[in-house]
Amino acid sequence: MRFLNSKYALWLLLALPAVPMAAALTGSPRDPAGQPVTEMLLHPTGEFAARFMIVAMILSPLRQLFPRSGFLLWMMQRRRYFGIAAFAYALAHTALYIVDMGSAVSILGEFFILGIWTGWLAMAVMLPLAATSNEWAVRQLGRGWSALQRCVYPAALATLIHWIFVHNNLGPALAHFLPLAALETYRVWKHFTAPTIKRTAQ
Amino acid sequence: MNTAAIRALLLAAAIAAPFSTAQATGRLTCETVAPDKWLTEDALTKKLTADGWLVRFMKKDGGCWEVYGTTPEGQRVEAYFHPATGEKLLVGQRGKILFRAGEK
Repeated sequence: MRFLNSKYALWLLLALPAVPMAAALTGSPRDPAGQPVTEMLLHPTGEFAARFMIVAMILSPLRQLFPRSGFLLWMMQRRRYFGIAAFAYALAHTALYIVDMGSAVSILGEFFILGIWTGWLAMAVMLPLAATSNEWAVRQLGRGWSALQRCVYPAALATLIHWIFVHNNLGPALAHFLPLAALETYRVWKHFTAPTIKRTAQ
Repeated sequence: MNTAAIRALLLAAAIAAPFSTAQATGRLTCETVAPDKWLTEDALTKKLTADGWLVRFMKKDGGCWEVYGTTPEGQRVEAYFHPATGEKLLVGQRGKILFRAGEK
C-alpha cells in the first residue's frame, strides 16, 4: 500500500486498463472477430470512464456508512485522480467515436438521437470539472469549486441515459449505476433523518 | 430496520450488482436455421453492398446475422438479417429503431 501512496503509482494503476486498449490500437485495424478496433474500443473506454466516475462519486456516501474506514479516507484524499481518469477515458471514448464515424456529416447526422446527445452532454459537463481538478483552480475558485464539481451529478445522469439508450440495453448500465443510486438514496435519507432528537426510553 | 442491516444490504447490493448481468443481447431472435442453410458472410455482404449498404463487420446474434455498417442513407447502424434469406428484420441507429419487419 505504501507504494501506492505515491500519486504517480496511483496514476499508473488508473492507466492500466488503457494498456491493452493502446496495444489494440497500435496493432491490426480489426480485432480477431473482424470488428474495426476503433469501434470495438468504444465499449471499454466508455465503461472505464463511467466506472471511475462512479468510484469518485461513491466515496462520500460510503464514508457516511463507514466513517472510520481508513481506506475510504485514503481514497477520498485521492478522489480527484479518479475524476481525472474518468475524464481521460471519456476523452478517449469520444476521440475513438469521432475517428470511427469518420466524418462531421455522419456525426451531426445522428447527434440528436437520445443515446448520442446525452453522451456529448456528459462530455461537455466533465470538461470544466476536469479542467479545474488541480490545486490552482481549487484556490482560485474557493467556495465555487465545490459547487462547480457538483455538476458531476447531471454528468452522471447523462452518462447513464447515454449508456442505456445507445444500445437499448438496461442491464450493464444499471449494474454499474445501481450501487451509486442506492448509496445516494441512503445519503438523502440520512440527510432528512439525521437531526432527530434523542429521547430517553420511557 | 437497524443501521447495521441497511449497511449490510447496501454493501451486498453494491458487490453483487456488477456480476448479475448476462452478456447476451437478446435484441432479436431468428427462427432456427440449419448451419448449411446460412448465407455466408460474403454472400450477405455482396447482397447488401449491391443494395447500397456499407458492411463493416458482422456476427451471429440470436440466430440472426447482425451487421454493423452504414445504410444506403448514410446512417451508422446495427441491423439484423434473416440468416438464410437475408431479409432485413431490424435496423437500429445508436439504439433508435429505424426499421422493424412487420411494422409500418
